[in-house]
Amino acid sequence: MRTEDFLRDITAIRGLSGDEGPVADFVADAFRPYCDEVWVDQMHNVIARKKGGGPKVMFAAHLDEIGLMVVNIEEDGSLRLGQVGGVDPRILPGQRVWVYGKDRLLGIIGAKAPHLLSAEERSKNYQREDLYVDLGLPPQRVREQVQIGDQVQLEHRYTALQNGRVAVKTSDDRACVAMMFEALKQLQNLRHEADLYFVATAQEEVGTRGAITSAFALDPDFAVALDVCHADTPGAPAWRTHKLDSLVASMGPFIHPVLRGKLVEVAKEQNISLQTAVVPRSTFTDADGIGEARAGVPTVLLELPLKNMHTTVETLDSKNLREGGRLLAQFAVAVNEGWEDELWT
Amino acid sequence: MDLKTLTEAFGPSGCEQEVRALLKEAAQALCDDVSIDRAGNLVCRRKGSDPMKPSVTFAAHMDEIGFIITGHTEDGLLRFRPVGGVDPRVVVSKWVLVGKERLRGVIGAMAIHLQTPADRERVLDYDNLFIDIGARDAKEAERLCPLGAYAVFDTPYTEFGEGFVAARALDDRVGCLNLLDILKSDYAGDLCCVFVTQEEVGLRGSRGAAFHLQPDIAIILEGTAANDLGDTPERFQVCVPGQGVAVSFMDRASIANQQLYQQLLQVAQEHGIPHQVKRAVTGGNDAASFQQAGKGARTCVLSVPCRYIHSGNNVAKLSDIKAQADLAIAFLHSL
Repeated sequence: MRTEDFLRDITAIRGLSGDEGPVADFVADAFRPYCDEVWVDQMHNVIARKKGGGPKVMFAAHLDEIGLMVVNIEEDGSLRLGQVGGVDPRILPGQRVWVYGKDRLLGIIGAKAPHLLSAEERSKNYQREDLYVDLGLPPQRVREQVQIGDQVQLEHRYTALQNGRVAVKTSDDRACVAMMFEALKQLQNLRHEADLYFVATAQEEVGTRGAITSAFALDPDFAVALDVCHADTPGAPAWRTHKLDSLVASMGPFIHPVLRGKLVEVAKEQNISLQTAVVPRSTFTDADGIGEARAGVPTVLLELPLKNMHTTVETLDSKNLREGGRLLAQFAVAVNEGWEDELWT
Repeated sequence: MDLKTLTEAFGPSGCEQEVRALLKEAAQALCDDVSIDRAGNLVCRRKGSDPMKPSVTFAAHMDEIGFIITGHTEDGLLRFRPVGGVDPRVVVSKWVLVGKERLRGVIGAMAIHLQTPADRERVLDYDNLFIDIGARDAKEAERLCPLGAYAVFDTPYTEFGEGFVAARALDDRVGCLNLLDILKSDYAGDLCCVFVTQEEVGLRGSRGAAFHLQPDIAIILEGTAANDLGDTPERFQVCVPGQGVAVSFMDRASIANQQLYQQLLQVAQEHGIPHQVKRAVTGGNDAASFQQAGKGARTCVLSVPCRYIHSGNNVAKLSDIKAQADLAIAFLHSL
């Protein structure tokens, strides 16, 4: 499977935090041909092992997605919404969603018409509480189909733009799962000493929970967390965003400096360009959870720039999927026993 | 011709050629006298066999709300403005088709993580919204989508729920579809169906059509905002999808001819055609042009109730679309 096709397919599968079963199965099936063993743990982390005799290295990218859930069913049959992870209410009016009731139901998110709003209301965004899902069903049918707590997924469209750019929801963080997929494919033709674990983690969007348990279970020597960061966007503060077209290696107290040096070195050798992000605090990625597992795991964070994060049109440069996969594969090849002694030098 | 093809055709006000070409081909198979007038309206006339029957004109608009490109940024994004009334709040995080090549584009927004509390409240207006086609710089963006290129929401036609459809431009491709049905009817009097341009930017096409057609009776087939769900107070609810075609006694631009209005309600009742009275005096449409052009015409508007009408996802019930055609044709036969 082409990595772009993997991204197209994986981003369509339901997998809100806490409901990663279907997407975990997809990842396990896709990774299996390229690994020695693959399993899905009780939290729906997918763990794919490519055996080696050397140090244990964990790569992690999360497979859960942000979304919505039904919190109330109105008398007229419309559904009120709660959120799973940080959903920007600005993206919701006029959006299509899938409601996972007894059947999968298409819904449209509606709001009070603009001409019925006061001048003050019109100057503000609709909040989630102002919006509802219209299923095109009579109230009775809605109640037969839908329960409070049912999951609501935003519409999936894979849109190829100019210059290899792609807009698709849940690129955060399945684009990084796609990077791991690319790395696994490239590793088929490479020799590595390290014992490699590619982990697609659950429940990152609600607090890196899958990373905490999987890192505990695997007890890795080193880890590379993969997540998305913000690409340049109109209106965004420049110091918080990066160019769309190359990967980012973060630095700061949550990132192991020597291990980061190793990653940057491999990138240089491979002629892969990297930008730097300085993160003076928690990274709010799986790097945080993994780094604090057991007695501590030296961890680096590699990030993929993404425009419009947490929208239905998250936009990336698909070249970064291949370059990122290559960097991970070459990093996996470079890892050796000697690194342990260099960690605090 | 089906509703899917019609709603997926590209036709913002001033750029109706794709829709017009589709309708022209379909109409030519149904009547001999098909022409395009000076305002770009597609005029389809059918001579009747019975000179005692009155001549009736029906109108629906081909154009839809959309966007037009007004500039290019250094980093390759497109600046744009709405064509017709599109609330900027329904534009965020949506897909569009741009220009002659129908290039795919997306309208993004700064991530929630980067927003200040003020950003979260403030409506992203058209000065701060951009279409991204993936161009690297202004030059490439301009080459691919020059100034004045049109754009529309990229929305597939999808049936859902119990007999509902979500699509772009149901306002007013439902009327266009039904005009074709009217042309298929066996009414014995003179008949004229006119597909007009530029309704969404001020009833411009119909003004020209009304001037040169000078009909006695003009019936407008429209889509109208329903506002029946959610937080809308009952007194502001206009009509209900599923309860039939909405007959207007008055809107903000025209008042129905009382006799015609009563006649339409009566025909609907006699034939058991699902119908409702449009309960609020909202909106305005091409009836205004016909009512006021030349010596004036008797008009009435038949609307398909439509939710989220000026967004990328219009929602209507298929049975109401059929009821609109049924009532128009039953009315003809009652004359």
